[in-house]
Formats: sequence, structure tokens, C-alpha cells
Amino acid sequence: MVILFRIDDRLIHGQVVLGWGSALKPDRIVVADDEIAASEWERNLYASAVPPEMKVSILSVPEAAAQLKGGVFKGEKVILLVKHPKSVLALMDLGFPVSEVNVGGLHYREGREKVLEGVFLDAAERAVMRELAKRGVVLDGRALPGSPALKLNSRVV
Amino acid sequence: MSDGMGNPAIAGIIVTHGRLAEELLRTAELIIGHQEEFYAISGSDLCDENVIGKIREIIGKRGDAKALVFVDYFGGSCCINSVRAVEGEEGVKVMSGVNLPILLSFATKRGTMPFEEMVDHLIRRGRESVKVIDL
Repeated sequence: MVILFRIDDRLIHGQVVLGWGSALKPDRIVVADDEIAASEWERNLYASAVPPEMKVSILSVPEAAAQLKGGVFKGEKVILLVKHPKSVLALMDLGFPVSEVNVGGLHYREGREKVLEGVFLDAAERAVMRELAKRGVVLDGRALPGSPALKLNSRVV
Repeated sequence: MSDGMGNPAIAGIIVTHGRLAEELLRTAELIIGHQEEFYAISGSDLCDENVIGKIREIIGKRGDAKALVFVDYFGGSCCINSVRAVEGEEGVKVMSGVNLPILLSFATKRGTMPFEEMVDHLIRRGRESVKVIDL
């Protein structure tokens, strides 16, 4: 069961493993990212960042959709991570239902504009967020479980 | 500065969350004075590409010198970005769990021993400095 679905361009890092991890006590972290899943070096790098008490799966978006739908993680508390907003849409289009997504870490880079603390979006990402909002997905803007939760839906329209 | 065998001194780069890197370097310099070839990068306000770019810029201009990247937290984004930045670079290592004793030891000993020996020495120094004070 996915207990947190988060968009974070750093994927596995301190805020996720410690910040969310200590609040939610996940059994597994699932990363859905085509680029990272395709490189053994990248997979090893991210897997090294996972503490021993958590399992980790680093999958392409289609693999992740298939495994999530297929009940591979049934009975486990899962934190699902994607780097790009478009991966959320891709998972939905592959039949994985999403009602809420945490928008936690999209850091500043050229072309991205600030939406709130720690969340910067470029035009394409904003369009994806609008589409997610249109499909009824709750966009929960928040870095950590204790941070004030800001619903982003009205800010991306 | 050299390593005592005619090689240029090892460059030090601290990469951390928050403003820890600047403060660690500033604090080390309060104790042992101004340091050349010692850099601090705080990851907080930068995206991953900019952190990686800054590290690459520093190691790119070190010439024949070795370099050590000190990161605060094993598995954190600073650690991941540092490993990414130095991938394929000869004579550059990333060490996690940086603390003040490691940095002071690095700054005062880096001219005195070869790179690999220096790395082992710093890890020992860092571990030895973590203890319960029981007199």
C-alpha cells in the first residue's frame, strides 16, 4: 500500500528517509524513474542511500505501474517517489489510480519559478500540475510531515 | 603547499545541508587560521545541478592535486551529489560524516602524508573523536 506518493527531484535523501521515514515507518521505498532504472550505477547510488531497515525498488515507470497494480507490495507500507511531475500522469495513464500526491522538493533551476518554499516549477511542469488538478488529484505542497500543508491546486491554475 | 613529497597539497571541499559547510570552515579557521584550497558549499538553496557544477568547478582547477570532498550525512543529497560530481575523477574521494576534528586534522596534516594514508588517518581521527567522556 502506498502511504506517501511524493514528487521530489532528489528522490531518496534525508527529508524522505528521516523526515517522512520516521513519521510513517515505511517498509519499502519505490522509485519510479526510467532514466535511473536504466543505469546500474544510478540504481546502486540511490540504493546506497536507503537505511537497512527499509527495502528499496528502483523501477522504470511502466515496471512500477505493473508492480503497484499487480499487488507486489501488498502488505507493505510504501513510499513512492518520482522525480518529475509527468511521471505521476504516466503512472495514472498506465492504470495506477492517484488521489493525492505530495509535492515536496522541486528545487530551483533556470526556467523554474517559485510556487512555495522548496517548490519551483517550469511552464511544462506547471501544465502537468494543472492536468493533475483537473483530474481531481490533491496536490499537497509540503516538505516534511510537520510542515504546514498547502494545497497547490489553486496555485497552479 | 605540498604533501611533503613535492606534490601539491590536497584540496578540501565541504558539502553540507543548511549553512553547516560555511560554519564548519569558518570555525576551523577560527582555531587554526586561514586555509588555502579549502572550500565550503551549502546545498540548501541550490538545485542538484548547481551543487554538482560547483564541486566540478573546484576539482577542475586543482591541477595535479588530489581532492577530498567532505559531506555531512551518508545517503543525503549532498552525499549523492558529491559522488555524482566526482565520478570518474582520479585522486578525488568523498568522505561522509564530517566533523570538526576531521577538518582540523585535515588542515594541519595535509602537507605531511600521501593521499591514501591521509584518508585512513582522517577516518580514524573522526571515529576516535566520537566517545562518551567518562573520567
